[in-house]
Amino acid sequence: MIPNRSTLASAARQLRAVWMLLLVGVILSIASPVFLTSGNLLNVGLATAVVALLAIGQTYVIILAEIDLSVGATLGFSSVVTALVLRDHGLIPALAAGLGVGAAVGLVNGLLVTRTRMPSFIATLAMMSILAGMTLQLTSGNPVAITDYDFQGIGQAYLAGIPVPVWIMVVGYGLFGVLLGRTGFGRFVYATGDNQEAARLSGIRTHRVKILAFMISGLLAALGGFILTARLSTAEPTAGTGLELEAIAAVIIGGTSLAGGRGRLIGTLVGALVLGVIDNGMNLLDVSPFLQSVVKGLVILLAVFLDRNVDMLRALVTWRGPSAPSGTSATGGDLHADRPDPVPAPAPEAAQKPAGVSTVRPTP
Amino acid sequence: MRLRLQDVRKSFGENSVLRGVTFEVGPGEVVALAGENGAGKSTLTRVISGAHRPDSGQVLIDGEPMTFKDPQAAMARGIEVIYQEFRQNLFPHLTVAENIHVLDRERRFGRLLVSRKRMVRQAQAVLAGLGMDIDVRRPVGSLGVAEQQMVEIAKATSHDLGLLILDEPTAALDERESQQLFQQIERLRAEGVSIVYISHRLDEIFQLADRIVVLRDGQVALNAPTAETGPAQVVAAMVGNAVDDFYPKERNQRDDVVLRIRGAAASNAFHGIDLDVRAGEVLGIGGVVGCGRSALLRALFGLERFTAGTVEVDGRPVRLRGIPDALRQRIAYLTPDRGAEGLCAGLSVEANISLATLRRYTGRADLVRRAKERSACGDVMSRLRVRAASPGVPMSSLSGGNQQKALFAKWVLTGPRVLLMDEPTRGVDVGAKTEIYRIINQLTADGVAVVLVSSDLPELVAMSDRAIVMRQGRVVAELTGDRLDEQSVLEHALVGAA
Repeated sequence: MIPNRSTLASAARQLRAVWMLLLVGVILSIASPVFLTSGNLLNVGLATAVVALLAIGQTYVIILAEIDLSVGATLGFSSVVTALVLRDHGLIPALAAGLGVGAAVGLVNGLLVTRTRMPSFIATLAMMSILAGMTLQLTSGNPVAITDYDFQGIGQAYLAGIPVPVWIMVVGYGLFGVLLGRTGFGRFVYATGDNQEAARLSGIRTHRVKILAFMISGLLAALGGFILTARLSTAEPTAGTGLELEAIAAVIIGGTSLAGGRGRLIGTLVGALVLGVIDNGMNLLDVSPFLQSVVKGLVILLAVFLDRNVDMLRALVTWRGPSAPSGTSATGGDLHADRPDPVPAPAPEAAQKPAGVSTVRPTP
Repeated sequence: MRLRLQDVRKSFGENSVLRGVTFEVGPGEVVALAGENGAGKSTLTRVISGAHRPDSGQVLIDGEPMTFKDPQAAMARGIEVIYQEFRQNLFPHLTVAENIHVLDRERRFGRLLVSRKRMVRQAQAVLAGLGMDIDVRRPVGSLGVAEQQMVEIAKATSHDLGLLILDEPTAALDERESQQLFQQIERLRAEGVSIVYISHRLDEIFQLADRIVVLRDGQVALNAPTAETGPAQVVAAMVGNAVDDFYPKERNQRDDVVLRIRGAAASNAFHGIDLDVRAGEVLGIGGVVGCGRSALLRALFGLERFTAGTVEVDGRPVRLRGIPDALRQRIAYLTPDRGAEGLCAGLSVEANISLATLRRYTGRADLVRRAKERSACGDVMSRLRVRAASPGVPMSSLSGGNQQKALFAKWVLTGPRVLLMDEPTRGVDVGAKTEIYRIINQLTADGVAVVLVSSDLPELVAMSDRAIVMRQGRVVAELTGDRLDEQSVLEHALVGAA
């Protein structure tokens, strides 16, 4: 691949996400002796997997200059449907039903956006509300317990020492990364996102491209639902609440432009990991969960700010000469250097959002 | 107002754009500023209007050296610019009156509330003074392009105007609208307003200007009264050497009819169209904007529905109910608005060129075979002389002419039987225009039937083997040979029009 300005520019954008990941990683590894242990890093992967999967679909949709606010609610709805079918009909029908629900929601989103020309913000916002309501109606607001051992494995089993959700995430990024970066369909996604009219007039069926992207988003929400449900051994009707925003944040931190036409999946993965690492680190450092949300918001702002002001910052840095970064991390290190326990502090069991530090133990 | 530029220089980094520009515009004088894209016209405009500060040299207004700190300061001195993308300066949801008053300096801070009645009355007075008949209560977005431009001019003239700079003002106007604009320019000139008129269109320059200044590589290459120069000299000054044949027309017409249209109609746009286009022929279509010619092209590409009539390609009747139908018949369509409908600006040149034929380069699992794609694009790029630093640079980094050539390349790759082109050289500099005409020659030599819609009359006349003129949705004339000249096209296009 000959490097060109746009790929270099987008590589640089993603590089910034990588820098951010490294920066956060360095700070945390100084601040907490636990952070850099393999067990903890696997925990980060495990905790990131669900958001990372949602962010794959979101990347496709955002490159198309659209947005999918319904992924969290889709995850909740498909989880509940999966759990109910699992209870009554067994594993395979349950998986099929879950994925079917995800794809169907994506199809409806796609049709609304393309056929009725409704802005995707509105269409998927409405869909989010509808699905959240249907989920609660279906379960009367109660969690659906899961006892199927095989299904639990999706979230709890290990393969070659690595949790299955991490494998799913890695394979998902591999497959969908190739689909986006190397195939004709992927090219059509970029072209449609860059200039839909020009793409259409070149013979691309832009509506079909958009519908497929929303369906990918829905399918991956269902897949994320499997992992979440399997990890918790229960389908929580509100499990997906807010995850759409986490996914969008990951995409943005990863350097994808909301204006469409540019962005890469690898950036999104890094973006999701940045969020996961921050979650994990703040749990390690016992930061209040309320403040965690504040920090994540600041990170999003910082990422976008860096994106828009690299040149300015570069000038600033060269002007001041090398200085600054070290002080904060040193104090952080002092504060927590005495923590002896190599195992991460357990997250509150009752926390509605199981991202963050996992307490799930390996199953045989 | 007398404007004098004295050895104005301006560089951006290592790129020196203006390298000592000196000329003068007297009161009531119309000076045409010509030059290829990149010659420095826009930068010069921005220096005069206060958007850029010159590195050295002076801008003198009535003999007094001026340094404007921003365009507002220049406006306060009566210097106004109407940019090519003037629509960006208008607020489409506000009314004409509100747009005219939006920057009214006298009441910007003085009063919190605006008297709507007075605003409407003043706006009407301004428009009436310009001899324009536009309802000032309508939202600007509901007006036609030409009327919007008139509003922009009204904005400029709603207070003391000393110097007006117009940047490619007719790019979006048809012949009749252009003539209206020229009347306004004459009116302003008579009032003593100095005018700098930037245009690629030589016919306009010669019609309007008292003097012609040609910029090349940031320097004045020609500065002569219009009466003492001619189009050949102007073009030569622009490109740096004499262009013998600006229109390198080759006749490649064959006998076989490729596109046959009988009794074609589309609800309100056109009716009763009968046309034959032969292999290797360029059929020109003249007429004012809205005469149905663009709609006809769109219908032939499946973008609008035919409500009656038949279309045959190579003797076979075809149905054109969508873009896929048109592509299957190997009908290609070069859109009039390059930015909005042509390019994917952020994608690479290569990705733009292969966009319509991507399926040829995909293999197993839909994977794009990059090597194959690259070689196909490389071939067509060198054949059509698309100049890009590499096929991988973004489309937005190319000049307008090279972007247009790249779009030609996209369609050439599809191996078209019929190529429909709407304003193929709009916003393209003179050198690139000639190269585009050569591309048209290559296409016709390969037997492609070309339908050319153009508002550039000299181009239409020179490049067409045969031309029809449309008016109010009908074909009113067919012109060939000696009868195909600018005058006849214009007469047929305008006569009888309201």
